[in-house]
Amino acid sequence: MGRPLIHRSPMPGLGLSMGITLTMLCIIVLLPIGALLLKGANYGLAGIWETVNRERVWAALYLSFRLSLLAAIFNLVFGVLLAWVLVRYRFPGRRILDAAVDLPFALPTAVAGISLTALYAPKGVFGQLAAEIGWKIAYTQWGIFIALVFVGLPFVTRTVQPVVEEIEREVEEVSATLGATRLHTLRHVILPMLTPAALTGFALALARAVGEYGSVIFIAGNIPLVTEIAPLLIIIQLEEFNYDAAAAIGIAMLLISFAMLLVINLIQVWSRRRIGYV
Amino acid sequence: MSDVSLVRTPPRFRSATGESAGTRWALIAVAFTGLAILVFAPLIAVFVVALADGVAASLESLASRDARDAIRLTLTIAAISVPLNAAFGIAAAWFITKFDFRGKAFLITLIDLPFSVSPVVAGLCIVLMFGANSALGGWLVANGFPIVFAMPGIILATMFVTFPFVARELIPVMIEQGRAEEEAGLTLGASGWRVFWTVTLPNIRWALLYGVLLCNARAMGEFGAVAVVSGKIRGQTATMPTTIEMLYQEYLSVAAFSLAAVLALLALVTLLLKTALEIRHADQLAATHRP
Repeated sequence: MGRPLIHRSPMPGLGLSMGITLTMLCIIVLLPIGALLLKGANYGLAGIWETVNRERVWAALYLSFRLSLLAAIFNLVFGVLLAWVLVRYRFPGRRILDAAVDLPFALPTAVAGISLTALYAPKGVFGQLAAEIGWKIAYTQWGIFIALVFVGLPFVTRTVQPVVEEIEREVEEVSATLGATRLHTLRHVILPMLTPAALTGFALALARAVGEYGSVIFIAGNIPLVTEIAPLLIIIQLEEFNYDAAAAIGIAMLLISFAMLLVINLIQVWSRRRIGYV
Repeated sequence: MSDVSLVRTPPRFRSATGESAGTRWALIAVAFTGLAILVFAPLIAVFVVALADGVAASLESLASRDARDAIRLTLTIAAISVPLNAAFGIAAAWFITKFDFRGKAFLITLIDLPFSVSPVVAGLCIVLMFGANSALGGWLVANGFPIVFAMPGIILATMFVTFPFVARELIPVMIEQGRAEEEAGLTLGASGWRVFWTVTLPNIRWALLYGVLLCNARAMGEFGAVAVVSGKIRGQTATMPTTIEMLYQEYLSVAAFSLAAVLALLALVTLLLKTALEIRHADQLAATHRP
């Protein structure tokens, strides 16, 4: 261990900035997460398993994960398309479209939740249209899907956009000169360059959707086993002062989040090795 | 970039690095339709429902006691948690970009952690840490300083979910700017604080504003984490988003949507300012943001 922990530097403020950073990180983030893990440790693996291994909890975790995956896949395709259109084409209204992509980040989830419900409920504008073909959206899994698409919308576009901007035109020209059709170039030259960023955005959208609560609960209907999401189960347990069970489900969700964080990091390492940048 | 503009190219000499006009317009149409359904429709619906009984009814519901209390509480929470998180963001960015130490990447991962934790789980963590039946929480309650179901808990929950916003925006910008300007200031005899106020802060001000803007939007709109820790006591711990939920569940649609419209307006102002910053100060924002 020849390398010092902190290199000597002429810069001032080491103690102050390190102190503020570590203290606030501990109080706001690490200690509370530690409290959850400690609660889980006291409860024991067997206890956690017993709580999670119930039909209602499995159904909720499975529902949250499956619909989040579907919504993230939708966002992957639509997000890449949106990034391409916003960077490559010039058309009236482009700036507004570009700004609108961020609305799901800026609009509070509860607002999005009641608004989507108003639209897709049987009496709502879209709900009525769907009802005519016998399609029920609000208070079914379709409603949850739509809410999750909404909250995950910006992620893929925002990670892919800078990469599209950096693609050098020459690469596409070379491809065309070598006789590739436009479709072939897009498929074999452009798409591989976008893949790492798109996957990062996909993983971020997925992580966000799995933990999402505010925009989903209004439109979901919250029927146990059918439209009850995992975060709602935690709230229900807390309202019954069943802290052990809430902690057990919370830990299960935390583990899913950590696993996804790991995947995001692996994707970035992989893409750095493959193309030299993230 | 401009070579695929609206300039009409004769069909026979179609650019080899662009799509055909038909494909182009089809993709643009898909983008417009998708965003119209997914983003514009919900935004418009908020205002349509809020004004369903006319402007007067909407304003009247906003003047109600519940609404005023909620607005006051939300503003107070934001006024406390956003500056604290901004201070953290500046300190963390300074520590990370001005010094070399082991475990830097790990520290950045820890700072980003709240982004991948569900807000409900975040709230749960705070309840378990500071709740009345934890050791620390019990002691605090006994000494007359309850955290959960009170304002400090809401502030902690808000700070948890908005924790990375400012740091994340500042770190890439400060890495790019390097240390040379600060070093020059120090060599010329300026104190550390003077260097910070006269060299660093002017360099990062737009990025800081950008981060604070996003942090504030999330702080005022946070629902999941706050719903868990606040207890939703009317007039005391009901923030705007939790009040919206209560009003909605009582079928007070106009009141719920009027309050929602206020938050939607805030979101629009946030987006407007953010876009303005991106257009005017693109070079001074994080590299990941588009020019």
